[in-house]
Amino acid sequence: MAEQPLHEHTLGNGLRVVVCEDHVVPLAAVNIWYGVGSRHEQTGVDGKSRTGLAHLFEHLMFQGSANVAEGEHAALMESAGATFNASTSFERTNYYETVPVSHLELALWLEADRMGTLPAALTQENLDNQRDVVKNERRQRYDNQPYGTAFERLCRLTFPPGHPYAHTPIGSMEDLNATTIEDCVEFFRTWYAPGNAVLSIVGDVDPQAAIAMAERCFGGIPAGPAAPPARPGEVAPLAGVILEEVDEEVPSPAYFAMLPLPPDGGHAIEAAELAAEILGGGSGSRLYDRMVRRDQIATEVWTGVTRLVGGPSLAIVEAIGPDPAKIAEVLDEELAAFAADGPTEDETARATAQAERGLLERTETVTGLANALSANATQFDDPARVFTSAARAAAVTGAEIKDAARRWLAPGTRTALSYGGAK
Amino acid sequence: MTTLIPDFPARPVPGPIPPWAFPTGTEGQIPGGPATLRCDLPGRRLAAVRLVLDAGAGREPDGLDGVATLTSRALLEGTEPGGGTRLAAHFERIGASLHAFADLTALRVWLDAPVTRLGEALELLAEVLGGPALADSDVRRLVRERLEEIAQEDADPGSRAMRELRARLFPDHSRPARPTGGSPDSVERLTGADVRAFFAAASPAEATAVIAGDLTGVAAEDLLTSAFGGWRTTAAPLPAPDTTPPTPGPRLVVVDRPGSVQSYLAIGHGVPGRAHPDWPTLTVACHVLGGGLTSRLNALLREEKGYTYGMRAGLLRMRHCGVFIAQGAVHTEVTADAVTDALGALRSVLDGVGDGECRASVSALADRAPADYETSRAVASELADAAASGLGVDYPRRYLDELRAVTPERIVRAYAEHVSQDALTVVVVGDAGKIRGPLEDLGQGSVTVVEG
Repeated sequence: MAEQPLHEHTLGNGLRVVVCEDHVVPLAAVNIWYGVGSRHEQTGVDGKSRTGLAHLFEHLMFQGSANVAEGEHAALMESAGATFNASTSFERTNYYETVPVSHLELALWLEADRMGTLPAALTQENLDNQRDVVKNERRQRYDNQPYGTAFERLCRLTFPPGHPYAHTPIGSMEDLNATTIEDCVEFFRTWYAPGNAVLSIVGDVDPQAAIAMAERCFGGIPAGPAAPPARPGEVAPLAGVILEEVDEEVPSPAYFAMLPLPPDGGHAIEAAELAAEILGGGSGSRLYDRMVRRDQIATEVWTGVTRLVGGPSLAIVEAIGPDPAKIAEVLDEELAAFAADGPTEDETARATAQAERGLLERTETVTGLANALSANATQFDDPARVFTSAARAAAVTGAEIKDAARRWLAPGTRTALSYGGAK
Repeated sequence: MTTLIPDFPARPVPGPIPPWAFPTGTEGQIPGGPATLRCDLPGRRLAAVRLVLDAGAGREPDGLDGVATLTSRALLEGTEPGGGTRLAAHFERIGASLHAFADLTALRVWLDAPVTRLGEALELLAEVLGGPALADSDVRRLVRERLEEIAQEDADPGSRAMRELRARLFPDHSRPARPTGGSPDSVERLTGADVRAFFAAASPAEATAVIAGDLTGVAAEDLLTSAFGGWRTTAAPLPAPDTTPPTPGPRLVVVDRPGSVQSYLAIGHGVPGRAHPDWPTLTVACHVLGGGLTSRLNALLREEKGYTYGMRAGLLRMRHCGVFIAQGAVHTEVTADAVTDALGALRSVLDGVGDGECRASVSALADRAPADYETSRAVASELADAAASGLGVDYPRRYLDELRAVTPERIVRAYAEHVSQDALTVVVVGDAGKIRGPLEDLGQGSVTVVEG
């Protein structure tokens, strides 16, 4: 989709509303970003640790509110053919539903009721039940999966204990067990005020009518307190390789690495992400060509970037192969070569072409565009920024990618996991 | 406590859901080559080409399990030995990507590209299909990667459960009983010559190419013809697909995974394929059971008991049949109780389905179609799959119409007829030392334990 005009309005209680018309399909996508994620949780520095609370709370948001019975949110959405869910990451929690446009106001009303009145329906029984569900989510997605805890381990190595990014959103079993109703109510009162949220609506809508609907549903919610400032997310640069040898039953030996990159929001991350893409983003990349095709020391290698705003963005390298030490050595060689020579012209052109393709993919559905608008409004105070993401990537020069590689993807500075492959 | 929002409006009553129909296309035929289908989707700037070859794993020659999968991967290595990086780079340069994979039904080639670069992207694909290297050295490497991948798949409880379920549901030695991508034994023996012979036997005349996207100003049929018009088969046809049907249980199998903190449950039963008039009805039955958070399995095992992060039920599509599967992971300590509850939920459909429950499930399936098929990729993949399965290009539209005609009575009748509650196959991937005893105590028959 080409850049679309956005219609914006901030309600009296601080809720920011962004609307974008898209008449390709008779749908409306609703997406709310709350400015709270696992980085805002207590991590024991003040004597109390509640990791996993933001995510557990996300589950409680589906358990009913003052005017919505337990399970009713899901029932109403499912029976309208809606796709809906929520997710919690380091920095935000989002809730979304894509509905037939006839059901837009119902979707907004459901979101408004839980934004305004969640504690009214909160019970010990719901908390206990969803705690069990979340513990099973943890088991299913992390504890009972080969290499499932790799990202969690790497964060623990990259950030000091108690640092807001040292733990991942799923949290620990101990903290989940310790969480009380009072913790949940306090969390809600602190973070779920309309002023800490952005509502995006994209689809087959009339913008003024959509804003009027948002006003009707959300306008009466009291403003609530301003969200407290988050703790600083900076971290000191790594001085060497911090390696953890993981003693875990896995099908094959593997080597995982994490390299901090600049925070999202400036020119620096654009260059750094292109550098990471050239290094290991797909089967045309340097690492894949060297490790998988030529040296055949890995059967799979992949690099990806998680952009963060309040702390360093994170590049991850994952490689599966019989000799993790060899993989580490070759990784260092490739990093050194990249830092010394920079990208070829063709590599730069390919990486920017892929960034353009990425923009098309992120914004081609109403669901994707609504999420991107909420993200850019929440994090950069500029929802329309999504439309310039390809141009921002294209503005990066080969020399800047080389500089980024030298600074952020230097050999010998990373945290890493080595899986020995005990069979 | 905040319990009321001042001036909060009454719950809105939605109007009727706007009509939407699955996109149709214009059919064509490249002489001596694939059938074509052009689907114009205004506003979709990312185009999709889906080429389906009637060369799925179901048509692999005896003893060559996995050759279809390996062939699909070797195609991505380009037209010269070791050329994979160059080929990937070519596609990346124009913002495009090429994927290929095989299932039992078809070998599928997926090309995605901005509509503005479709011509270049199709030219590249034509070069690949016209003269893929399929070199010994690349195939040897891909064999090693596939062996590694099999180990990774088997380590994943869900995919290990699916492998076991198929092995139990279908008769020993039938192709559907064996893994689509081959077993370590069969894959290890595959060579470049096997791959070249398989590809040479895949017939363009039995293929279908679907193109979807905003095709305004795009000479789509010409592009497809110049891409696929010169591609010819050079070998005798592949064997006919193995259409051995699934057999009834009951069976209760534990795949032992010592130390596992969860047990993965998969409960299956063979059903007729998509050409059967009961398919849409059975799809609704699955949704009632395990389609969403409010479905019977999730209402009980997740929302009431907290045994699981989530259960789901659905129908596995195969060309000659379908498989009903209910599945999900549960905490090890509650495994036997969870199996009892899941079996109880499965049986409960026989006691009836409410009008509202039926309506909600039909709507959940039919009214989410505009969102499910919002991209060219989704539309093209679905149309190509209908073609590969011999269902006709109007199948997705017919299916949605038939879904809307499903009634509670039909659900109960079709489910009772096709999913015999006394003949289910239950696979549990988990710690046999902890769960075998409790499972035996269920009285569901004897428990077979196999190595994880």
